[in-house]
Order: sequence, then C-alpha cells, then structure tokens
Amino acid sequence: MTGLVALLAQVGTEAQVDTTFDVPANVVFAVTAVFMIVAALRVVTTKNIVHAALWLIIVLGGVGVQYLLLQAEFVAVTQFLVYLGAIVVLILFGVMLTRAPLGVSTDLDNDLKPLGIGAGLVLAVVMGFALIQSFGADQLDFRAYDSALGLDDPQTAAAGRTGAVADGIFGQYLIPFEMISVLLLAALIGAIVLARRD
Amino acid sequence: MSTLLAALSQLAPDPGYSTPRIDWHGLAPEIVLSAGGALLVLLDAIKLERAKAWMPALANLTLLGTLIPILTLAVEGSTRSLFGGSFVVDPMSLLLKAMFLVVGYVVILLSTNYVAEGDYWESEYYTLLTTSILGMVVMASARDLLMIFVALELLSIPAYMLAAWRKGGRTSNEAGMKYYLMGVFASAILLYGMSLMYGVGRSTRLDVIAENLARPEMQSGVPIVTLAMVFIVVGFAFKVSAVPFHQWAPDTYEGAPTPVTAFLAVASKAAGFVALIQVVFYGFYVRPDIIEPLFFVLAVASMTVGNLIALRQTNVVRMLAYSGIAQAGFMLAPFVVVGDNFDSALSAVVIYLVIYAAMNLGAFAVIIAIARKTRSAEITSLGGLFSYMPGMTVAMTIFLASLTGIPPLGGWYAKFSVWSALLGAETALGVAMAIVMAVNTVIAAYYYLNIAKTMWFDDAPDGDVAPVKVPVGLTGAVGIALVATLVFGVLPGLLTDIAAFGPVSAALGGG
Repeated sequence: MTGLVALLAQVGTEAQVDTTFDVPANVVFAVTAVFMIVAALRVVTTKNIVHAALWLIIVLGGVGVQYLLLQAEFVAVTQFLVYLGAIVVLILFGVMLTRAPLGVSTDLDNDLKPLGIGAGLVLAVVMGFALIQSFGADQLDFRAYDSALGLDDPQTAAAGRTGAVADGIFGQYLIPFEMISVLLLAALIGAIVLARRD
Repeated sequence: MSTLLAALSQLAPDPGYSTPRIDWHGLAPEIVLSAGGALLVLLDAIKLERAKAWMPALANLTLLGTLIPILTLAVEGSTRSLFGGSFVVDPMSLLLKAMFLVVGYVVILLSTNYVAEGDYWESEYYTLLTTSILGMVVMASARDLLMIFVALELLSIPAYMLAAWRKGGRTSNEAGMKYYLMGVFASAILLYGMSLMYGVGRSTRLDVIAENLARPEMQSGVPIVTLAMVFIVVGFAFKVSAVPFHQWAPDTYEGAPTPVTAFLAVASKAAGFVALIQVVFYGFYVRPDIIEPLFFVLAVASMTVGNLIALRQTNVVRMLAYSGIAQAGFMLAPFVVVGDNFDSALSAVVIYLVIYAAMNLGAFAVIIAIARKTRSAEITSLGGLFSYMPGMTVAMTIFLASLTGIPPLGGWYAKFSVWSALLGAETALGVAMAIVMAVNTVIAAYYYLNIAKTMWFDDAPDGDVAPVKVPVGLTGAVGIALVATLVFGVLPGLLTDIAAFGPVSAALGGG
C-alpha cells in the first residue's frame, strides 16, 4: 500500500515507465481491484445463485487482468480460458442440471452469518497487516525479474515469459506435471463411476 | 514466406532450456507404479467384466513390483537428488515408500472379498487405490512445495471418491461429501500458505526456503512467515485429523466402506504426516520459535480431545477414529522439539508412523474379519469372540496392547522413542509434552483394554458360537500386520537404523 502511495506521489516526476509497475498500471490495478471487491461481496450476498455465478465472472476475470498487469500473459490466458471458459460454465450447468430453483432463494444463509463475517474481518485485518508489513515497501521491477529468468539475454528473450513457464514445466517441475495427468485420469474414472446411474 | 520462417523459428527449442537429466533408477518406483496403474485402466477398458477377477491380484503384483526398485535403491544406499533437489531419494524416503506400498498391499487384501461381495464398482476401485498410493510414494520424496501439493491432491482425490464408493448408502455418500468438502477447504488454506511462503522464501524448493528464512532479517518480526507456516501446517492438520480440524474423521470413517476406512486411517494419515515431516524438517525447522508452540497446541489438543471422546464411543470404528486422532497427537509431539533435538525428533516421528501403520491396520483387518459374522461394528457385538474366533481375538488383543503401548510390542517402542526425543531436548515445552503424553497413555489404556475385556470375557450377544471361516486374504493381512507389530517391538534396532539414516546397505548385507 505504501508502495502504491509512493508511486502515486511520483506522478510527473521521472517515472521509469519501462521497468517498474508504472502509474497507468497502478490506475488499472486500482479500478480492477474495486470492481473485484464489489463483485466478490455480491457473490456472497446475492440471494440468487445464478447471479452469484455471474458475479464470480467479474472476480475471476479481474484476477486475469491483474496477471496481465504483471506481464504474465500465459497465466492470464489460462485464467480466462479455464476459469471463465470452463469453471463458471460448469457452475451454471451444475445449477441447471440439479434443478435448483433459478429465482431468488431465501434459505441461502444460516445462523452462522455473523460469525462468518467476524471471522472474515479478522482474517482480512491480520493478513492485510502481515502483507503490508512484509511487502508494502517493495517496488515491482520487471527488469529484475527478467534477468532472474535469463530473459535479458537477447538469445533467450524471444521465448518470452511464456517460454520460461514452458522451461519450468518440462524442466524442474516435470514430475508434478506428469503426476497431474495421472490425477486427472483418476478423477475422471472416479467421477464417472460416482455420477453414473446403476 | 519470411514471416512464416520467423514464426517457425519461434517454435525452435529455446536456447535457455536444457533437457533435465533424469535419474531413471531413482524414479523407477514411481514409474513402475504408474505403469501398473495404466495397465489396470487398460485391462478394465478392454476386458470389461472379464477383468474383474484379475484386478486385485494385478494391483497387488504392481505394488510388489514397485518394491523391487526400492530394494535395489536401498541396497545401493546412496542419496539421490533429482531436479535440483526437489525430489530426493534417501534411506528415509525409501523406508516410507516401502511402508506405503505394504500398507496398500494389505488394504487390497482386506478389500478383495469385501468389494467383491458388496455391490461395488470393482475394477475402478483398484485403479483409484493404486493412484492414491502413487501420490503417497511421491510424497515420500517430495522436497518442493509444488510437488508436495500435487502429491497431496493425487493421494486425496481418489480417497474422497473411495469414501463414497458405497453409492447406495446414505452414510457412505455423507462420508465422501464431508471428507471432500473439508479436504478442499484445507487445500485452499494450504495453497494460500504456500503462496505466502513462496513470497518470503523466494522459491518452491524447501532447502532454498530454509536458507532464505534463516537470514538474520527474517529471524524475527516478520508476521508473514508466521502466517504462512500456520496456514501450511493447518492445511496438513486437516489431513492428519488433528484437533481442532478433526470433525470430518469419525463420520467419514464410519460411513466409508471399512477397507477404505483402514486406508484413510493409516495410509492417508501417514501421508499427511510425511508431508508435515517434509515441510517442517526440511524447511521450517529454522524457525522453531513459531513451529514448536504451534505443534504443542495441536498435539496436546489432539491427544486429549481424541482420548476423552474415544472413552464414550460404543461403535468400534468410531472409537478407532477418535483413537486415531489421539495417536495423531502422539505423532505430532516430536515436532515440539524440532529446534532442540532435530535428529531424534525426526527418527521418532518416522518410527511412530511405521509402527502405527502396522498396528492400526491390523486392528482394522480384525474388525473387517469379525464384521463378516457380526455384521455390526458395535463394541457389544464383539462379546464372546474368543469362543468362535480365538486366533482373531489373540491378534486383536496384541494390536490393542500395542496401541496402548505395552512392552514388548511395537507401540511401546514407538512411544518410548517419542518420549526419549522429548526429554532429550531438555526444554520446558518438551517436558510438558512428555507429561501430557503420559497422562493420555493411561486414559487410552482404559478404552483399548475395555475392548479386549469384551472379547475375552463377555458372552456372544446372540449365543451363536459356531466357528467362522475367514478368507485367506484377510488372514494374510492380519498376519503381516501382526508380524510387523511384534518384530518392531522385539527388534526395534531394525527400524532405528533406517530411520536414523544409518547405512541400509550394511543392514541388507550389500556392504
């Protein structure tokens, strides 16, 4: 947060547009963040379960925009494809296929609502404090990240950050990558058995 | 044309990428196990109904086949570090892998008749069991947050579905649903903790994280480190059903098919502990000021609450669920001295884990055998067991005595090694933990021995004392667990050598 304030104070001075998380990016971040917070609140407060799923689109899409701001284009595209393209559609289909009431439902809340709000607030304050205390003074410097990934070398720069993701998947993280394929197969088999009528 | 060439040149291998050097011998156990799992799927898809009869045998052969590369690796005895240290094959991880495979073997022996006689989907059952065991075997070597997380999901997701495998039964559906919801909730907390840890540790590899956390500026007053560690530990605390994250366990254990319950209570819980061992003993040990009090609270709450509720249970599976929570407390205890008595604490957790697996699996095996006659898991239905199943009664008594911690059985040695680690640390927390443990051992003795009393002295509730024939698979399962429980108690040196990272090659005669 202090980093954000410091950056906003820099408006008009010599902002290093190329390397840091610059002023326009901060404005887009703030606007997206406000949209996401409002939409996230609506997800849990709306009485209509279909509307909740639609509000979720804004939250998940906002996360994708944040990834784009961080220049993680591969993660952003994946976020759009998987979360907006698949998960939200899946939720809507789930609502439709289980023949849940499509209109307003009154029984979505239970008695524990105040407790939930309290726990959420405490968690938000604790995590907010810890995050600001640890990372608040940090400034995002894309050039430093690129050099850590070896992308400042013109030879490797062609592959870009997406190339770095690929290197990771087929290099250091090869075993988790292969395990996920086994996991998906097992999940598929089990889900078919549990879902089919017999 | 030139633009096409330019586009194609983008597809050429990135000069920054180098093919990872793969140590095939080190990965052989995982490869054999995945190949066996794939074979099960293929056979099921091609032969359909005709494959059913072969499935348990094939799954068992796969597990035994996986033990071969583990043995060759153990004889060689070297420590292999793959993928820059994110996958480590050392004597301890081999011991844990072998434990998971033997537990899986015994669970399949327990399942064979149970699944064939009930109305279950058989072939898929063994496929899911094998994949879950693959997740555990990888977990034993994982020293990287990402790999630990994927291994955790690989072992949990099949287990969620197996808990709901009795599709017609309401309790089984409830068991699966509860386990699933609590499990994904825990995964979310865990993942959030891991992302925070990546932020401060600057790596997913545990050794690099430990290095970064050990820097002077990270040693105090960094709340994010505390938060990350608490979230990660809480995520695994759900998995090992430590209080106050235990609520799912009794309902899930009671509702799931009993062999699956045995699998959850032993293998799945052990895998959660292995994950805790990896993150705490290879990453977070540099911050004992956070880890020790956290585990003290978890351990004291788990053993006390678990034992007090277990006292009042009338169903033997629920009782074992709560006793499992209390046993988890005993296994969490050595973590309390991670900063002061590192080596003894690590070997105490591993020893307790292996012995717990043997004795608890044995208890479940006997209950499955008994339930073939009584069709019930109420403690009163065990009355008069000695008159018609004397062998099983003796075995169950040995398992219960071992769970209590009576010498010279395995459970005694497990408790002894935890105590010696706690007292050897000579810290106030360690001594307090040892005292709480002693009190809880006495409480636990009451309900364990109460079952033994019912089996030996009470009369059969329905007066039917005709001898019951137990399938050979079940007898074998009880036998394996019995031998392990007795051998580890009488010859504890066998286990300490491996757990203390002694040269296994010497123990096996390989020089």
